[in-house]
Amino acid sequence: MTSLGSSSSSTTEYVVRVPKNTSKKYNIMAFNSGDKVSCSTWTQARMERDMSNRRIYGEEESTDGAGGSEFGKKQREEARRKKYGIITKEFKAEDQPWILKVNGKAGRRFKGLKKGGITENASYYIFTQCADGAFEAFPVHAWYNFTPQAKHRTLTAEEAEEEWGRRNKVVNHFSIMLQRRLREQERGEEDEEEGEKGGKKKKKKGGRGGDLRIHDLENDLEISSDESDESMGEDGEGKAKTKKDKGPKGKGKKKKNSDLEGFEDSDDGDFEGLEVDYMSDESSSEEEEPEKTKPNKGEDVPKGIDEMSDSEEESEEENKNEEEAKEEEEEEDGKKTPVQVEKKKKKDSSGESESSEDSDIEGEAASALFMKKRTPPKRGGGRGSVGSSRTGSRPGTPSIDNAATSNTLRAAANKLEQGKRQTVVSSSETPAAKRLKMDPSPQSSSGKSTPQPVSGKSTPSSRLPSLPFSDVQLTEDAVRRYLIRKPMTTKDLLKKFQTKRTGLSSEQTVNVLAQILKRLNPERKNINEKMHFYLTE
Amino acid sequence: MSVKGQDVDLTRAKQNTGVWLVKVPKYLSQQWAKASGGEVGKLKIGKAQGKTVVSFNLNEELTVVECSGEKVSSVRTPREHPFAIQAVGGQTLAVFTESPDKVALEGMVVHRAECRPAVTESYMKLKKLQIEESTKPLRLSQRLDKAVTTNYKPVSNHSHSVEYEKKKKEEGKRARADKQKVLEMLFSAFEKHQYYNIKDLVDITKQPVIYLKEILREIGVYNSKGPHKSTWELKPEYRHYEEGQEDEEKLE
Repeated sequence: MTSLGSSSSSTTEYVVRVPKNTSKKYNIMAFNSGDKVSCSTWTQARMERDMSNRRIYGEEESTDGAGGSEFGKKQREEARRKKYGIITKEFKAEDQPWILKVNGKAGRRFKGLKKGGITENASYYIFTQCADGAFEAFPVHAWYNFTPQAKHRTLTAEEAEEEWGRRNKVVNHFSIMLQRRLREQERGEEDEEEGEKGGKKKKKKGGRGGDLRIHDLENDLEISSDESDESMGEDGEGKAKTKKDKGPKGKGKKKKNSDLEGFEDSDDGDFEGLEVDYMSDESSSEEEEPEKTKPNKGEDVPKGIDEMSDSEEESEEENKNEEEAKEEEEEEDGKKTPVQVEKKKKKDSSGESESSEDSDIEGEAASALFMKKRTPPKRGGGRGSVGSSRTGSRPGTPSIDNAATSNTLRAAANKLEQGKRQTVVSSSETPAAKRLKMDPSPQSSSGKSTPQPVSGKSTPSSRLPSLPFSDVQLTEDAVRRYLIRKPMTTKDLLKKFQTKRTGLSSEQTVNVLAQILKRLNPERKNINEKMHFYLTE
Repeated sequence: MSVKGQDVDLTRAKQNTGVWLVKVPKYLSQQWAKASGGEVGKLKIGKAQGKTVVSFNLNEELTVVECSGEKVSSVRTPREHPFAIQAVGGQTLAVFTESPDKVALEGMVVHRAECRPAVTESYMKLKKLQIEESTKPLRLSQRLDKAVTTNYKPVSNHSHSVEYEKKKKEEGKRARADKQKVLEMLFSAFEKHQYYNIKDLVDITKQPVIYLKEILREIGVYNSKGPHKSTWELKPEYRHYEEGQEDEEKLE
């Protein structure tokens, strides 16, 4: 290497060698810079040719001299090909794609496809600097473009076509892959796939896929992804926005509104032909029904979870719901009956023991994947969701006129109540939630709920029987029963003895409950930073 | 040929060696291929006004261009080749080598460069030469002076047909051999293949067609339809093939 001193610049000279007779063939491995590939981070790599095309290219040799072969078959085939001028390309191993596996099983996989035509007009050389300072130039034999291979689930072509057709109706794109996985009976967690789907989420027009609505919330919340946030912002649905920030209330409102809005068009026609179990004038929560039917058509599993979460949600966000509810309907106390009946019915339909349901629900909801905050009223079915957390498959039909059938429902519920002799978990409904349910029924004037098809029906108040259920008594016995079964907070207890059922005002309830607790003197335990009471028999 | 699933030798990759990817004109690579010793020229790297300037100088002896035809080295390739350096850009380029027994990662590309010839008279001449060569058509029509009369001359009997007739005479008519023998031949033939054309069977057994057909009717069945149309195969009870690729389960 000689240094030449030039006038204005310093140049160094290097010898360039083109080594001959190297058995090594140099190739280029090209990655997209977006994939952020750094070879220095590789600890281990394996490369092999992807021979999967061999059977397409290679002439599949049928059995020679075994059963099923013909005499002279090969020659005949050859003659036939020549006659028709069919030229089949050979299978060249050289041209096959590479499969690169980095960092073992858990690492990334790449597929490298050969790029043609790089040696046609110009030659590429790799210049490396040797120890002695000279450069060595090696010709590039081939160029391979390496792309990362997806490890997550993808839809097949048919499924993708299907989903594409439904893209305007489907709101919750997260559930698409989830359901696919459930179908495959795999437990997968949402990954970037769903994030993508969330990003592609479009405004829902008209109806929404029934099975998807529930997921909407769950997954939105769960993912808590920014992606969903941006994507969902478009509609002003505020789903994403309300996700974290506003909590269920705001979300519930918006959701409900948007839901209702969305439903407007479809509501009228949708339920005309549907059979109704109990014929009755109307129901207080009729408008909720339409909403509920749609989601109810969905899958059980997600639904169940959702409802579970819903129930928990309600219990937690009682206050918020209360406010909201109070806005809309104040003197609708009378309505609680049908609603209660409704709830009861739901629970009945689930056929589960009620008393512990609430606690179970809470426990489950807490352990559920999905976040707690959610808007129960979204479906307007939030009300029933608690009790029917297991119901999952609440039939859509009855729910339409659910409230309408209040009388008969109430009768049925009553019977069951007595049969079980347990405190109805209807109390699991927060008063607020109940009121919330009433929401749609009363006035569209509330401004919150959009006009429901039910609006034509008489106002709930007129329908509702005025006598409250008296089967739920705030007695020491009842409290003791609860506390023996499971540790509960005061809030929980209050929920059990909801004012509408006991006939006492909230203040009275509180007082009586406090007295009872004093008498019982239960033991205290701190669970989740909350003071729980419990009794041991 | 690469062995299945071989580990990539990452030793040189770890060193983070940076290499240059240089695009070189065809004629230059041809000249390089002619270099015997290995050294093809000199690379000058310098700085001028803050920018790196790279230039390649071809060795004198390699500038001789071989031309087709009579002209001898009237054209020479240019010697100076400035490099145009580019950033690697939207791609991450790595270099891997494939040798008969292993695959190794050599390094990453840090610069891309284009080797451009310094535009000189000699380069222009070279280019002209190239263009001339490339515009020559691959096929030429040539005019002949005399018509070709040697190809198709009438013959009384073509040579190959003479042979054919001779062969036929030799063979004579096919004689009916013993039935047992024919059956043996047939069975051994069907051992090799399942389906046979009648013509092929006649060829193999050298029996007259009618006789052969009679025998075949006894032991075989004719497929008039299906994938193996108009072929003979043995009757199921005579078959005893093993499971081939084309499922053929037989019963004895």
